[in-house]
Amino acid sequence: MNVQTPEALNGHASGTALHGTNEEMTSEKATDVAMQDTLLTPRFYTTDFEELDAINVETVREDWDKLIAGMVADPNKGHFKKNEDWDTVDWDGMEPALKKEFIDFLISSCTAEFSGCVLYKEMKRRGSNKDITQLFQLMARDEARHAGFINDALREAGISVNLGFLTQQKKYTYFRPKFIYYATYLSEKIGYARYITIFRHLDANPEYRFHPIFKWFEEWCNDEFSHGEAFALLMKTDPNLTQSWQNKLWIKFFLTAVYGTMWVRDHQRPVFHEALGVDVTWYGMEVFRKTSEISKQVYPFTLDIDHPRFRKGLDRLQDANVVIAEGKRQGGIMGKLKTWAGTARAGAAFFSLYTIPVVHNDVPDSPMMAPAY
Amino acid sequence: MGLLTRTRESAPCTVTISHRFEELSAHVKFNNGAKIYAGDSVLVEGAEIMAPYGEIVREDRTAIITRASGLERAWTRLTGDLEFMELCEFSFSEEVTL
Ligand SMILES: [Fe+2]
Ligand SMILES: [Fe+2]
Repeated sequence: MNVQTPEALNGHASGTALHGTNEEMTSEKATDVAMQDTLLTPRFYTTDFEELDAINVETVREDWDKLIAGMVADPNKGHFKKNEDWDTVDWDGMEPALKKEFIDFLISSCTAEFSGCVLYKEMKRRGSNKDITQLFQLMARDEARHAGFINDALREAGISVNLGFLTQQKKYTYFRPKFIYYATYLSEKIGYARYITIFRHLDANPEYRFHPIFKWFEEWCNDEFSHGEAFALLMKTDPNLTQSWQNKLWIKFFLTAVYGTMWVRDHQRPVFHEALGVDVTWYGMEVFRKTSEISKQVYPFTLDIDHPRFRKGLDRLQDANVVIAEGKRQGGIMGKLKTWAGTARAGAAFFSLYTIPVVHNDVPDSPMMAPAY
Repeated sequence: MGLLTRTRESAPCTVTISHRFEELSAHVKFNNGAKIYAGDSVLVEGAEIMAPYGEIVREDRTAIITRASGLERAWTRLTGDLEFMELCEFSFSEEVTL
């Protein structure tokens, strides 16, 4: 969650023109000088690459080849272009509070896309299994394209991303392959559900569409949907990944953590959601509903999001998060105590959510789905 | 790799940054086949590499790889998994109130 918020913008002129070679300043670069700089700080991962290479997709070959062929055909290649649908954005006229939250939304989305690209590219490069490296190459292509598209929207707002993190000390975090499947599967599918829910809402209520980027969400999220399909197939190659009782506990853990985090983070952007005409609580539940429905393709259960303790647990998590933040801002011993108290409350809320009985689900033989939400 | 000692090595690398509309990406490739393991750190030496908008920049540099000690490696393998939330493809930031 190392995302730079607008507060953390360095505020100094972009170094683009300064660090450049002796080329002449083009007007493009000249505008760069006046731009606000925000440093992208993705994390770097390493995993057990031998285990990844040992995956054999023969058991799901038919579905696999179809999916890969679809990605190779690259139907979205022409989609990420600005055309006449991209109306001019009145950044200066935008209400400051909305502008702040919206820019935060764009920067963190850009970082998420970028981090996905870094991870997938690394897996592509370190692997030697042809099926696997081809998949990760294709997904890295999509994420880099998504990141570039958001980057362009940010530039219009006068914000340039700084990729200088490459020359800073970077520590590599370890991630077990199966955790990569659980987490990225969910992240792709929930990403799909988030984008499509906003798109459908704005399609029905265009008066709330305060920025053209939302018009691109439909085809965009189809990319995320196929990425999720690929991880569903990967999990299918080894039934143990979704059937052993330990792994079921892990899946439940990831579902709870991902839903909980999303809930808390979205509630931090009230102005943004209000401008979209979206009730943030309705939105959260709607995204969970779609994600749960989709995840039935591979997970043997779903979280019981209609359980009375579910909403209560999420709200307690959100309250605890506010307490932690207050403690951090306050500082000193009292602040520390507050942070600890908040953390304990967050832990209790998470435990309460985690212990809600799941809803059993019979997984179909072939997981493949169409993005029909 | 000792239990408590870190070692350092340098590796030639190629840094590629694409700062274009159709692709925003950055990557470091080690040209001597060096592999990174859990808990290792990498520092690319030299000045910040900036790719002007619309361009792709490729530069050969030297990277210093600090190998984690055995203990650090074990620790990273144990705890690294808990940082998984960063992978989530939905947007959020650290701030509770913006
Ligand atoms: Fe993406
Ligand atoms: Fe994706």
